[in-house]
Amino acid sequence: MNILRALVCPVLLCAALIGAHASTAIADPIEIEHERGTLRLNTPATRVATINWAFTESVIALGLDPVAIADPQDYVDWVAKPDLPQSFVDLGQRSSPNLEALRASKPDLIISVPDLGMSYEKLAAIAPVLELRLFDGKRPAFETAREVFGKIAKATGREAEAKAYLAEFDQELIKYGDRIKTAIGPDQTINVVFFFDESNVGIFADISLPGSVMTAMGVPVAYDGEVNKWGFGRGGLEILAPYAKETLVYTNPVPEIVLDKLLNSPIWKVMDFTRNNRVYELPVVWAYGGVPSGLRFAKLLTETIENGPQ
Amino acid sequence: MSNSVLQASGRSGFPGTLSIPAILTGILGLLTLAVLVIDFWPYLAGGQATQALFSPDETDFDQILFHYSTLPRLAMAFLCGAGLALAGAAIQTVLRNPLASPTTLGVGAGVEFALTLFVLLAPASLAMFQEAFALAGGLIALAAVYLIAANRGNATLWLILAGMIVNLLLQSGSQIILLFNEQYLQSIFMWGAGDLAQNGWEDTQFVWPRVLIGMIAILALSRPLDLLALGDDTASSLGAKVTVLRLLILGLAVFITASVISAAGMIGFVGLAIPAALRIAGLSRSRDLMIYSVFTGGFALVVIDFLVRQFNEFGGDPLPTGAATALFGAPFIIFMLRKARIMPGSQSDDQHRDQQIVSKTALSITLSLSLVIGVVFSLFVSLDGNGFVVLGWQDSSFDILIGRSERTFAAMICGAALAVSGTLIQRVGRNPLASPEITGVSSATALAMIMALAIFGFGQRAELMVIGAAGGIASLLVLLALCRKFTHAPHYMLLNGLAMTAILGAIVRIVLTRGGTQTSMLMSWLAGTTYFTNMDEVMIVAAVTGVLLVVAIALKRPLELASLGTDQSVSLGLGISGFQFAMMLLAAILAASATLLVGPLSFVGLMAPHLARVAGYRLAGGHLLGAVLIGVNVMMVAEWLARNMIYPAQLPTGLIAALIGTSYFLILAVRKR
Repeated sequence: MNILRALVCPVLLCAALIGAHASTAIADPIEIEHERGTLRLNTPATRVATINWAFTESVIALGLDPVAIADPQDYVDWVAKPDLPQSFVDLGQRSSPNLEALRASKPDLIISVPDLGMSYEKLAAIAPVLELRLFDGKRPAFETAREVFGKIAKATGREAEAKAYLAEFDQELIKYGDRIKTAIGPDQTINVVFFFDESNVGIFADISLPGSVMTAMGVPVAYDGEVNKWGFGRGGLEILAPYAKETLVYTNPVPEIVLDKLLNSPIWKVMDFTRNNRVYELPVVWAYGGVPSGLRFAKLLTETIENGPQ
Repeated sequence: MSNSVLQASGRSGFPGTLSIPAILTGILGLLTLAVLVIDFWPYLAGGQATQALFSPDETDFDQILFHYSTLPRLAMAFLCGAGLALAGAAIQTVLRNPLASPTTLGVGAGVEFALTLFVLLAPASLAMFQEAFALAGGLIALAAVYLIAANRGNATLWLILAGMIVNLLLQSGSQIILLFNEQYLQSIFMWGAGDLAQNGWEDTQFVWPRVLIGMIAILALSRPLDLLALGDDTASSLGAKVTVLRLLILGLAVFITASVISAAGMIGFVGLAIPAALRIAGLSRSRDLMIYSVFTGGFALVVIDFLVRQFNEFGGDPLPTGAATALFGAPFIIFMLRKARIMPGSQSDDQHRDQQIVSKTALSITLSLSLVIGVVFSLFVSLDGNGFVVLGWQDSSFDILIGRSERTFAAMICGAALAVSGTLIQRVGRNPLASPEITGVSSATALAMIMALAIFGFGQRAELMVIGAAGGIASLLVLLALCRKFTHAPHYMLLNGLAMTAILGAIVRIVLTRGGTQTSMLMSWLAGTTYFTNMDEVMIVAAVTGVLLVVAIALKRPLELASLGTDQSVSLGLGISGFQFAMMLLAAILAASATLLVGPLSFVGLMAPHLARVAGYRLAGGHLLGAVLIGVNVMMVAEWLARNMIYPAQLPTGLIAALIGTSYFLILAVRKR
């Protein structure tokens, strides 16, 4: 296989070079692999509609303003950064983007998720659809996010920007990772949890976005139990018990009532992380996002840990 | 605890004989004892039981967990089961209706609505008022129900109808709030599905005094309640103040229900299944029924919750107890029905005195006109957040019109299909509370589709539709097979259907608690969105509906006879006549088609036939056409509102239909007093 590749690669390279020459006359179509086979675009997309926040933030991070965005209000509450553009078309809910509003925004590319596969034909009638999967429950989410980021960059003709962004990203991650390890000490691992209600919690494993970013930072994830498609396990507070000696970081937003009850409950108070004062509160960051949210998570986690327990 | 059981059976009026209820309660009691022994075993063996029970070792996490999680969970399970079963027993006795349960009166939905609102909107400084708010929600719902039903001839029937209306209204309200707070969906769903996970004794301390006070008060009133059970006239002649007693007992039952639901969420099936099963098993006096219900309900929920806990220990997503309860309870009630001796005289001979509002011809013409004008308006006029926009002629106009007509026609066809389905079921079943949902067809269709979605993923709608239809028809066949021993008893079928709906609904809820991002999409489909339909599907369902409507109208004479209870058709040997079977099959196919298109709309199939009847369409043929006209109109208006009301958000049409229909029905009901 490897020998074959070694032989074929130079040939392909030559072909590509010849092709590049030819393409000065007729631009080669951009080809991107996605959930529906191969998407061909004759020119890079400039008017992009995003139906999932991971795509919204990725497009913005690549320096392009999406023309249509789903759930922009909730984006502000749950994703927070990067800032949304000054003007765009509000598509309504992510689960049922308004097709008339979408059409009115005149997109030349719609980026959607397989969850919305049922309306693929309807979306495709408006503009070419790039359907990208973010979570499959097997692959580390950060790896998928990087690939998705690359595909979006390709579709919008911003591969150079993406390469620069990811290169800087990797450097930053290592730096943040080192800072966290210095702050919590060499033996500690970290659990990132979120609260469903005062008795039920979710806990991110290494294949989730926060978990896989931490792995890339060189910061060990404590939780190693069962997970779902999004890479978190879930249960009563007792699922935290085996990891109570480790550091705990909880995410936001949480309804105040829930937080109040949970932090004052006897089981929470008896846990070692509470007693050892190793509980940290993370500001709002989107745990199911793309590359920009991954970087933001790394930054906020570092700052949170350095600022000390809450 | 087994002592109390013996005491209870001693009081029950079956001394010396081992009655079925006593055996049932005894078995559940023994199982509960086994649960306690298993839970306590680590501490019993180590001699630390007292310590773990009263003052856990602060350094031993297992003891802390046992004391603050396992113990309160056991206590809560017993309290919730006992409280809900007693409330159910009381309500069933007062309303003399085996389909009644604490949730039938809208209390559950009221509490859920209030709590959803509170959790999402109230600041932490108001946390202390959360329970009061929930209680108020339940009581206001009850007050609304009572207000509508009071001073009516057939108060028993009207209470249930009014409860159902208020239920639909509040559930739609809760779902709309949830759809706009997608991020909190999972936690609300956990609670909504009845989650008994405990973190401290707080909830138990909230629930136990309330349940206890409620129980004592209800038991004290059980003697007058027995008089009530003899019927309004008899009780009045004996000097009991019927209305006051009813109100008092219902109020207490609601008080218990609201306390339980605000602490643990919807664990609805206990309140329906336990007293119904005990009654079928032979308990008829309300005092016996209630005492048995307390223990049977409590034990049953402890045992079920124990099984749920074992399941949850396998890891992965936890299973909510309330949803699991329905899974355990529903087959049980089906089993019990086979030896059923249910209390007589429910609503089959319902003759509520609704006057004709306007002349039928004028009404029909008005409805048809509004249909034509409405379609034109729906297609060409929309809102864009700033005001009305009339569609002009541009390049994209044709595509926009196609998109709008797909959805508008889908909604209208479903309105028609469900209206016909509901009319057939209500007529053949001779029950104005019946609907496609109650026979389990809608739920089965939805369930089959949800399973298919979970297994095969999204995108294959054609295959999904076939799978859904198969599910709907299979559920109907199972239902008929279960009913085969009953002669002329549409009620059993409905009760069976209700049990099946509960099982399927529970599975749907469990799937929803673990749906994640897909949850909101599944939820909007379940709530009846036309968003995903396309023209080919609309055409297929339209053809099916058209043909079956013609068939139903052609059969209007036998249908008329069937709804009068003088059906002379040849029996199939299934316990129901061949004609009834055929009509039910027709209704099932119609309901399944509508479900495939826009999800299991829970409103139109129930309300359109009922409204048609209230409006004066009495004979079978007219009833069918009237229901279709009303169903189509309501769905058309609902569809336009769903697309435009909160532009650019797209609301599920089913929710809006429920809101429109129930509000109208409430106004009508109040004005007619």
